[in-house]
Amino acid sequence: MSVSKMQRLTVIATMKDADAIVQRLMKLRAVSIEKTSESVPLPDSYAPHTDVSGAAARVARIEAALPVLSKRSKRKKKLFAAPTPISPEAYRTDGRYDTAWKVVEETHKIIDGTAECRAQRQAVIDKMERYRPYLSLEFPADFKGTESCGFLAGSLPSGIGFTKLSAQLEGIAAHPTQLIADNTGLYFTAVYHRAEEERLLRALSALGFMRAALPAENRSMTELYQDAEEELAALDTVLERLETRLAVLSDKLSEVEILWDVERTALLAEEHKRDLAATEQCVILRGWCPVREKERVTSLLSLFSAAYEFADPEEGDEVPILLRNNGFSANFEWVLGMYAYPKYGTFDPTFIMSIFYFLIFGLMFADAGYGALMALACFGIVRWCHPREGMRRFLLMFGYCGIGCIIFGVLFGAYFGDFPLAFMQNVMGIPADQLPRLSLLPSEAANIAILFDPLQNPMAFLILSLGFGALHLVAGMAVKAFILCRRGKVLDALFDIVAYWVLFAGIGVLFINQRIGIILLAVGAGTVVLTAGRHKKGIAGKAVGGLLGLYDLINYASDLLSYSRILALGLAAGVISQVINLLATLKGGGLIGFLLMIVVFTIGHLLNLAINLLGTFVHTSRLQYIEFFGKFYEDGGTPFRPMAPSDRYIKDVSLEADTSPTTISADMTRD
Amino acid sequence: MWFFDYVLTGQNLALLGAGLAVILAGIGSAKGVGMVGEASAGLLTEDPSKFGKAMLLQALPGSQGIYGLVTALVIVIKIGLLGGTPVTLTVGQGLYFLVAALPIAIAGYASAIKQAKVSVAGIHLIAKRPDEYGKAIASAALVETYAVFALLVSLLPILFAKF
Repeated sequence: MSVSKMQRLTVIATMKDADAIVQRLMKLRAVSIEKTSESVPLPDSYAPHTDVSGAAARVARIEAALPVLSKRSKRKKKLFAAPTPISPEAYRTDGRYDTAWKVVEETHKIIDGTAECRAQRQAVIDKMERYRPYLSLEFPADFKGTESCGFLAGSLPSGIGFTKLSAQLEGIAAHPTQLIADNTGLYFTAVYHRAEEERLLRALSALGFMRAALPAENRSMTELYQDAEEELAALDTVLERLETRLAVLSDKLSEVEILWDVERTALLAEEHKRDLAATEQCVILRGWCPVREKERVTSLLSLFSAAYEFADPEEGDEVPILLRNNGFSANFEWVLGMYAYPKYGTFDPTFIMSIFYFLIFGLMFADAGYGALMALACFGIVRWCHPREGMRRFLLMFGYCGIGCIIFGVLFGAYFGDFPLAFMQNVMGIPADQLPRLSLLPSEAANIAILFDPLQNPMAFLILSLGFGALHLVAGMAVKAFILCRRGKVLDALFDIVAYWVLFAGIGVLFINQRIGIILLAVGAGTVVLTAGRHKKGIAGKAVGGLLGLYDLINYASDLLSYSRILALGLAAGVISQVINLLATLKGGGLIGFLLMIVVFTIGHLLNLAINLLGTFVHTSRLQYIEFFGKFYEDGGTPFRPMAPSDRYIKDVSLEADTSPTTISADMTRD
Repeated sequence: MWFFDYVLTGQNLALLGAGLAVILAGIGSAKGVGMVGEASAGLLTEDPSKFGKAMLLQALPGSQGIYGLVTALVIVIKIGLLGGTPVTLTVGQGLYFLVAALPIAIAGYASAIKQAKVSVAGIHLIAKRPDEYGKAIASAALVETYAVFALLVSLLPILFAKF
């Protein structure tokens, strides 16, 4: 439950070692690098020795092939595929690297070939479209008429009928013959006297005549059309063959995925190297390293002839933040990350937040059925599907929250809402007055709760919610007091925190013992009025500040009332599930009733689970962010992102790769 | 006096309340989800991988409609129209349910639209800075508070009604 101590690492190494040092530091996943070339101005830089654009082009080439292959892959699609264990060094030398590249290159050839084929195919189809209206032409395609007679073929826009054409040609020595008329136009041929050609063309173009674009070949249109058909069939065969080849290649998808990771790691290494500062002979690398990783980094660097130094952060340094928490709380770090990382050297509230998150989530979504579903699904995926680190923590957090839902669900007697009761009443036919009444708080209605049923005792649930809220707020204030004390501001803690606690206690005791209550109230309020304005200037300022300090009480009250949302969301989930159960068991027993029950139950409750999961997640997070963090949190840190190899599909199992989970940043946004 | 016997009955008034809760909060949510959907479609044309984040923001203004539905369901259950024997209500009692439904109907409508505006801004935020996603959700969730309070104030009188 702390922000890890960081030290600045500076390494000076010879030019020839630069590549190896960067590569092996990446494997350690323990050092983040900064743009040394900017912070250490040196005349030279290492950039000319790197090939970022080449590496990026290789990655892009693989990325273009990947979706083509994965679309055709017969491999079972999994939401969470287990990474393939490989050793990158062995991979590059044992021929798999070359094989994978061959697959990528062949895929590209096929992609290009397919595109070309498709274009040709389209051209043939267009040609056939052009030929089709003239298929019934009795002359060869290049027929232009005899010595005295001209012949032409063409079309008029749709909407002009053959009769209109004939009328237009009245008085001209020409004889039109209709070939076909459809919604694309009127297709016809015309035989005419050569002397009349000009008149004819003028008359036709007034109608929008288009001469047919027929090939200059002395063959019949049917023959030409058949040729085109054969051409099309041949192209289709080629396309099919390419497609089959792609399907065969897609068996190697996993190899290409591994290649992607390997090449992307190479790209990352190039980018890191570009950030190095350099002289003629040496390179300088600056970055951050968690203190507890110092030993591993030292033992690696001592293998090279390199000078290195670890130094504590100085004033004004932007130290990256690595959170360190126990196995339970670490899964909640991403909730903190969604808000903001703490500043370096301040308090990491993840541990306290995780406990309250667990409790409030459980209380807000108190249902043993939904909780069990969540826990089973989340833990099951983690156990059998090997999700990546970020996803694993995300799922584990919801799994734990599911356990919270189970605990409170049992206390409040909710198992998919009131399903057991609805089942007993509507399917088993037990009369309402014989249903169990188990709750600790007396209730007239049937229930199977241990404490009470929130729908029957909303007031009790409201008080419980506000009670948890009060605890949460006091915890937030306690953290603030702790931070103040650690900085030696004990008096501030007394005046700004403890005084309010006395005041709160006074309000509480007022209901039990008025005299003690009033005394506590007076002491608390007096301290606040006297001290809240102590930083203000002048007597008037101090007095106004003191009174404004009392006004803070309203803020605390509104913070507390904000926790009534626990009741509202809890009731919402309960009411909807109650209605689903009612609909599910409406038909009573029997086969049809049973089938209907299963369908309505499954769909209804899954829907309710999804809706309320979102609501509960958002509102539980909000209570942490606004009500809890608002009391003490100092944000503004940037997460620690160590140099690391790309590992979307692979897991590095070579000897020196140490992927101990403590060093992996649990950042969900990392790919 | 058929008007009082058949039209202005307690039951009809209670149903009017249930209807208003669903209709007004539902319109608000529909408008809101629609607004955020339009904005997120713009974002997704640029970067389809942000769909999950965009959808979560889009779902946020949808909750008011659900709160309206919950209120309506509680009323309908309470007056025995859903799995019970229908209760005969006086006009006053019916009016009680109608008035109780108003907070979520009105605050639900307004807050859904206001929340949608914050969510749309959140979509613009994650378009430029996907890492600041938590803040976009948190700001939108702040608006939701008032819908939750309205739901509470609607639900409690209905649940506590002793008739």
